[in-house]
Amino acid sequence: MEVEIRLESGRKEPKVVILAGEDSGELRRLAESLSRLSLGPVPVSGGGEKLLLPQEEFLRFYTDGKGVSAQTRSGTYGVPLRLYELEERLDAARFVRISNGEIVNLDRVTAVDLSLSGTIRMTLDGTVHAYVSRRYMKKIRETLNLGRRNGYENK
Amino acid sequence: MKTSKGGWIARVILGAALGVLSSVVLASYLAESRGPTLAVSLLCAGLGGVLSAATLPFADDGRSLLLHSAVHFEATALLFGLLMAQLGARGAELLAWEAILFLLYAVVWLGRWIGWYVEVMQLRTMLGLAPGPSPLKWRETLPYLAFALLLCDVLPMLLFWADHAVSADVPVLSGLLLPYLLLPVAGFSSGMSLGKRQGVCPLYPAACFVCYLPMVFLLFNYTAMFHCFMVAVPALAGNVTGWLYRRAASKKKS
Repeated sequence: MEVEIRLESGRKEPKVVILAGEDSGELRRLAESLSRLSLGPVPVSGGGEKLLLPQEEFLRFYTDGKGVSAQTRSGTYGVPLRLYELEERLDAARFVRISNGEIVNLDRVTAVDLSLSGTIRMTLDGTVHAYVSRRYMKKIRETLNLGRRNGYENK
Repeated sequence: MKTSKGGWIARVILGAALGVLSSVVLASYLAESRGPTLAVSLLCAGLGGVLSAATLPFADDGRSLLLHSAVHFEATALLFGLLMAQLGARGAELLAWEAILFLLYAVVWLGRWIGWYVEVMQLRTMLGLAPGPSPLKWRETLPYLAFALLLCDVLPMLLFWADHAVSADVPVLSGLLLPYLLLPVAGFSSGMSLGKRQGVCPLYPAACFVCYLPMVFLLFNYTAMFHCFMVAVPALAGNVTGWLYRRAASKKKS
């Protein structure tokens, strides 16, 4: 399969057009998996500014009583979206909900530990800790199975 | 929680009914009577109901899991103790039954924990991370097992031999110095060293206890059982202290 990338200045979200001789199941699966990829930036606010940050910059999104916050390596920002809205917008192969109040970037997980009381702790970028609810373990495994089977980690 | 409240209530009622049925068997086999008394039937019903809700605490995480599990154990131990007392158990026998219940609880907990550990291992593999520590850190504890053997087996034998070699009236070394000074200090220090390096390793105090146990009966008698605790409890305390120190140090660093 030939792959061609054309850069278009001003475009905020990538658009993929598949050129083929005839329709097939494989083609439909390809289109479906491409449409699941959400690569658009996320609107955040911090220091009186409104910004659009690329998804790969985020370590996690979490609720903190006031609303939803996003944490990157450089700081914490407010997010004008609910967690379920973020879940729909984010790349489902990279971001996964680990508890009622937290979504993490699986690409930034550096350690997973289990305490004697059964608490599962994820470490992001070696410094940030997030706690996994066991009720979400099945979903996390499914996400990892789905998203990474196609060599996602080799990107 | 996956199961609805109504589902849990149905389970508890079914458990209570099974408890009443089992009281008939219990009364004839254990109390050698034709039928159970009202108190035995009620206690069996309560125990059946409580046991049918045994998986309920495991639906939670962390502190609430520990809290709910402890409350469930206390309720079970209370009903079980009252039932055994009704069936004629007294004093040491009653304590032995409660100890068996505790061991059963510990086995169930360990089984659950290993299940969670396997899940975390799978997660680590899927994320391409290093495998992490072994279950209950048994592999990390192994290097300290040599020390535990020296402390709990070789040292008591040497001190026992020394006491008998000098034909002293009072076995100062094996009867006083060993249980009241050497075992606690060495147990605490080694546990702390392990805790500082590897975090909480619950198998180390257990290993100390088990290693000393043969010495109780080989060198002394059952009255020296407290020696096992004199090494295991300080080892646990030292291990937790070492882990707290390690945690505080890593927090300070970050």
